[in-house]
Amino acid sequence: MSTVPSDTAALLTPDFIAKIEQLQLVSRKIFMGRMRGERRSKKRGESVEFADYRNYVIGDDLRHVDWNVYARLEKLFLKLFLEEEDLHVSILVDTSKSMDWGRPSKTLYARRVAAAISYIGLANLDRVSVYAYSDGLQYEMAGLRSRRSLPKLLAFLSQTECDGASDLSKACKQFAIRHPQAGIVILLGDFFEKGGYEQGLKFLLGRRYDLYCIQMLSPEEIDPPLVGDLQLKDVEDGDLADVTVSRALLNRYKANLQAYCGGLKEFCTRRGINYLFTGTDVPFEQIVLSYFRRRGLVA
Amino acid sequence: MPDFLNPAAIGIAAAATIPPLVALYFLKLKRRVHVVPSTFLWKRTVEDLQVNSPFQRLRKSLLLLLQLLVLTAGALALGVPMCEQVEQREQTLILLVDQSASMNVIEEGNKTRLDLAKARAKQAVADMPAGSRAMVIAFCDRAAVAASFDTDKRALSSRIDAIEATQSTTSLGEALSLAEAYSQNVIIGGTEEGKDVAPTSAAPDATVLLYTDGRITDGDRLAVERLKVEAMEVVAVGARADNVGILSMDTKRHYERPDVLQVFASLRNFGPEPVRLDASLYINDAFVDNQVVELEGFVLPEGAPDAVLTPPTPGSAKSIAFDEVNFNTAGVVEIRLRVDDALTADNRAWCVVEPPRNVRVLLVTPGNFLLEEALGCLPVQLEVMRPSAFEAAVDAGDAKVMDGERCRYDVVVMDAFSTAKLPQGNYFFWGGAPKIDGVTTGAPIRDQRFFDWDDTHPVLRHVPVAAVDAFEWLDLKVPVDATPLIKGQSSPVLAHLTRGASQYLICAFSLIVQDDAGNPMLNTFWVTKPHFIVFLQNAVQFLSSSLMSKGVLGAPPGQPVTIPVPPKAAEVAISRPDGQTDRVPSAGFNTVHYARTRATGLYRVDPALPGHEHFAVNLFDPVESHVAPRTKIAIGAETVQATTTEQPTNRPAWPYVLLAMLLVLSLEWVVYNRRVFV
Repeated sequence: MSTVPSDTAALLTPDFIAKIEQLQLVSRKIFMGRMRGERRSKKRGESVEFADYRNYVIGDDLRHVDWNVYARLEKLFLKLFLEEEDLHVSILVDTSKSMDWGRPSKTLYARRVAAAISYIGLANLDRVSVYAYSDGLQYEMAGLRSRRSLPKLLAFLSQTECDGASDLSKACKQFAIRHPQAGIVILLGDFFEKGGYEQGLKFLLGRRYDLYCIQMLSPEEIDPPLVGDLQLKDVEDGDLADVTVSRALLNRYKANLQAYCGGLKEFCTRRGINYLFTGTDVPFEQIVLSYFRRRGLVA
Repeated sequence: MPDFLNPAAIGIAAAATIPPLVALYFLKLKRRVHVVPSTFLWKRTVEDLQVNSPFQRLRKSLLLLLQLLVLTAGALALGVPMCEQVEQREQTLILLVDQSASMNVIEEGNKTRLDLAKARAKQAVADMPAGSRAMVIAFCDRAAVAASFDTDKRALSSRIDAIEATQSTTSLGEALSLAEAYSQNVIIGGTEEGKDVAPTSAAPDATVLLYTDGRITDGDRLAVERLKVEAMEVVAVGARADNVGILSMDTKRHYERPDVLQVFASLRNFGPEPVRLDASLYINDAFVDNQVVELEGFVLPEGAPDAVLTPPTPGSAKSIAFDEVNFNTAGVVEIRLRVDDALTADNRAWCVVEPPRNVRVLLVTPGNFLLEEALGCLPVQLEVMRPSAFEAAVDAGDAKVMDGERCRYDVVVMDAFSTAKLPQGNYFFWGGAPKIDGVTTGAPIRDQRFFDWDDTHPVLRHVPVAAVDAFEWLDLKVPVDATPLIKGQSSPVLAHLTRGASQYLICAFSLIVQDDAGNPMLNTFWVTKPHFIVFLQNAVQFLSSSLMSKGVLGAPPGQPVTIPVPPKAAEVAISRPDGQTDRVPSAGFNTVHYARTRATGLYRVDPALPGHEHFAVNLFDPVESHVAPRTKIAIGAETVQATTTEQPTNRPAWPYVLLAMLLVLSLEWVVYNRRVFV
């Protein structure tokens, strides 16, 4: 069991918060929220934004009758307005043991990204939920709304421990059962799933979420500094692998990694899932301010 | 497939190194544990490599394989492998190396035949199995032991290297005699009866290796007794055949104008291609004249035994003559051929000429005015002496007649006088004969006619012998080597005989005989004919000219030369053509004998008697000049087929094995580093 290093306590700095203050999360889909928020909904509601007219039928609220039109046409028309609702933003952060790896570590990187996305959501009155998963959903901080919840969220992210093996399928299944509401779902992790990532993502696809998969790997995973005859031990399940690291083996490893990541990307693209790949040596500010903006997650 | 001189070492080395190496590989490798986020991709990668590699089993143990190769190569090298191993020779070798003039031919690679022969001989020495011994004999016209039996290969090689080229002729007989002498198993007495001891030099089973170009003159005249000719191996070296040589050279002063010199030389082209060359005449190293000579190529007729024994192809041999060379002093005449051919030793020839002088003729007669008058007609310096006075002068060594051991006169005419007191000289006997072995005179023969004569001989040139008759002549008996010029019905009438440095022209009849009453009478009317004077002139010119051509000192290469020295000289310095000088003590004698004449050229003598300041050594040997190597060499009745191609030899292969070991080791290093370092 390991914890987040103390030097990573400041997941968001004031300067960075100032930079993301004006951003908002963008969903390619318009979802029905539970509470009125700042987003237009498909529902006709009571916002100030005019949507359409329709004929009056018995039972309609007379407050919505456009009397000016009645005066001109002597017919009753109801004035319809767009409903503004809140947005469900769910962030699933991989907190398996393999995430506590690399410099900077993948889990710190994932927490910072999660904190940034969460802040943007909170600032726009979106309903933000953060889940930590490894072998299923382990911890959650659900239903946060407004900036007031930020300290609470940051404390959750900072104190969540990395432990256990990763089981994305189980975590996704649990999440999908517990959260039938549509919304944005962001998966943060390395997606090194010995059981495969396909089943888990299919659980989420069934709920018609606006899905984002953000895969992050440390430089040590992208270009391992290994040499010689080694016995590799899996940090999650203690699995052992005898390898003699040669140039040919490393080349093959890199090719395999590239193929694995390419397979994940293709899987996501085919199913309308946004896929982002980043190394933890890329500053996470750059990811949020530039990369996410280019990929349309924030605007 | 190489053989190994020390095969046991291979097994020992392999047993000592290979099992431990394999055992090391059987030990489980202790791997360093390294924690990674996931072994998921690593396992897949290892599986991929194993699946994708067609030689994955080999790859797994490639280092082991390479290291096994290294050890195997090292073990093989310890076995001292030899490639192209031939049947091992006998334990004792006798190497005969030809160092004659024809071995100076420069072959391909700018190496002389002698260099090639020495290289082959050294290779044979190097290939000897351990414990073998060899001796080296170098031969040309003589043979010398270059190295006696020795097992030290390095010493033998250095002695072979020390063999120098000569410009001598080739005589195999002495070399074979030496080889036989060393190979015979002579039993010498031991300390106890019945326990004889063979000398260590005895080698009855020795193998004789002959390195030559096959230009051997005396091969078929040899009788090899103890050596097995069929076991003799002849290694022929060389390939070139293009050569033009001077086979003879002569100088002659004009009979009537002694200050005019005539130089003759005979040239022959032994090569197959026609040659056009310059033949230049030099006198005392100064250019005098040049002639362009064109010689046709010489083609050995099919089935002909040898070029030397075969008449030259028409046009391939020519004589050249430089007439009308005004030269009235003593000097050295040289002919140089400007031609690029195989052998240079026969492209120059020298001849030492004496200053012109009148022929001195001594008439020894009891009184013969006819002969005296006839000789007086000739352009000679004539003196007359009684027989008794001549014999007395010879007995006394009178300087009037004698010059050392030789007669001072160029020609001595003996009239009706036979004597044994004949110093070296040229004698013309009338009605008498020299009292030397094989020459006798019997009772007079009468009433016979001249039966046959050789009118091509210089003595009878322009002489109509058919018109000559004689009343009687002596029954002359001459040795078989004498040349009868005129034959009677039962005995020769006129004969020419050469003995040592003397020559005799013997006419069996006298000009004047006594009749039955004891009165002198004319034996022949020849004296009344003009052609009698012609005959006398021919005879004197023939005898004296041969003196002039042979009187100069000269010798073929390698032959000793007898040089007269001034009476009080304790030693003479003889400068060789190569510039080196030998000092030869006279030891009180009037002559010295000098034998270091293996190089052709002009030798200078100091101090020297007038006319003996130089002597020339010329090759003049068609056997040596015909440089085309022979592959069939007759030795006695046997004919040995020479090997001309490079013989398979024992060459040490261990350096190549070590090189292979080094290469494999380097490859192993590369493989290891590719595996370990990234």
